[in-house]
Amino acid sequence: MVKEFAFGFKELVIDHKLMAGVMGYENGQLPPPFDEYMETALQEAATLNDIRASYLLIDNSRIDKGRKVLYARENEFNIGNAVCNELNGAERFAFYVCTAGKTISDKSVSMLKGEDPVLGYVYDILGSAIAEAAGDKMQLFLKNEVGKAGEKTTNRYSPGYCQWSVGDQHKLFSLFGEAPCGVSLTQSALMQPVKSISGVIGIGKNVEFREYQCSLCFSENCVYRRIRGI
Amino acid sequence: MNEILTQLSDCIEFGKINMASPYPPQMKGQEGADELTAKALAEGINPQDVLTLGLMPGMERIGLKFRENKVFVPQVLMSAKAMSTAMLHLKPHFLSGAAKQKGTFIIGTVLGDLHDIGKNLVSMMVEGSGYKVIDLGTDVGSDKFIAALKDHPGAVVGLSALLTTTMVNMQAITKEIKDAMPGTLITIGGAPVNEDFCNKIGADSYSADPQGVVEFLNRKLAS
Repeated sequence: MVKEFAFGFKELVIDHKLMAGVMGYENGQLPPPFDEYMETALQEAATLNDIRASYLLIDNSRIDKGRKVLYARENEFNIGNAVCNELNGAERFAFYVCTAGKTISDKSVSMLKGEDPVLGYVYDILGSAIAEAAGDKMQLFLKNEVGKAGEKTTNRYSPGYCQWSVGDQHKLFSLFGEAPCGVSLTQSALMQPVKSISGVIGIGKNVEFREYQCSLCFSENCVYRRIRGI
Repeated sequence: MNEILTQLSDCIEFGKINMASPYPPQMKGQEGADELTAKALAEGINPQDVLTLGLMPGMERIGLKFRENKVFVPQVLMSAKAMSTAMLHLKPHFLSGAAKQKGTFIIGTVLGDLHDIGKNLVSMMVEGSGYKVIDLGTDVGSDKFIAALKDHPGAVVGLSALLTTTMVNMQAITKEIKDAMPGTLITIGGAPVNEDFCNKIGADSYSADPQGVVEFLNRKLAS
């Protein structure tokens, strides 16, 4: 079953402090003139009408802990040890795709290429934050839905992180059929629009939601490690 | 050193584009890179000196600050804007030969990868350090790099990638470039790559930051 959402920008909870942190300002405050750039981008974002999210619930799926593989339909996802442990106890899974949309993704790219690279960079950061905020809202809906039957959800995990090969994106997208939320994949597993996220959430009575921990992941140059001072 | 050139290097370092620009706050209302470059040339300062004594020291300082996490991407982009504004005044002098760049750098994000913020930062920093930059954009295969090398013999090539799925394309591109144009120097960068990967694929240099690329070019082309 695929559940689809269309979100308005104002419905989303954007993490401003995290955006400032990603840009390098770890106290969460953007100095002038970058605060004004962000204000411009936020005003523009209020008009976005292509923020989308969707998830697909798959009941007949299981994890092989020995092989570190998640089986869903005819696909084998090589999720690696860390994600395998985080999804432990899940009885079914929600695969998801969320996007900040083509508008902000394209705007960022065109600004970065010429007109105003600083504003383009701010759009890039905001686009990422919108995609994550859409993911948060979709995840909250899912949590409430499965909670009615006493089930819980894990955090969400994505190909490309924690030793889960980004190449598995192709298998994930094949579950949905046509481009979910208008998001398609390049041959190298890059999502288009670029400001999109995808992954899986475990569901079950015995799963736990755990905050992300950098110790699970081997990405040494990740910006979130720097923000967290690791 | 000439006072104008000192002011000009400060404008690049702090990202002061022109008089109208309110950034940085401590330079509000002052002339920026735009006015000072025009003024320097109008006063008869050698275009080469404007580049090497005015613009490049400012770019080097911002590059080092970025490496040391004293400034961040937005500030570097402001510096790059100031630099590109100044370069517009110098362009006719490069064409006439009155000012010379130190060499040519060909850069692109490798095949399959569309990320370009890191690549653009390197491109801007290298140009601001006195090199001619041929930016081939994103999703670039070996054929485009080789064609650009044929147009610019002796140029150094920079390969960028953000994804683990596309970093593997660096290996094939490096080999194909080296087969077609032996002796070409190749430097690589991007979040998933490192020194070991650089050695494994036969590239000549790995840089963790844009200033590292400038330093590599200075060692190989400008020495």
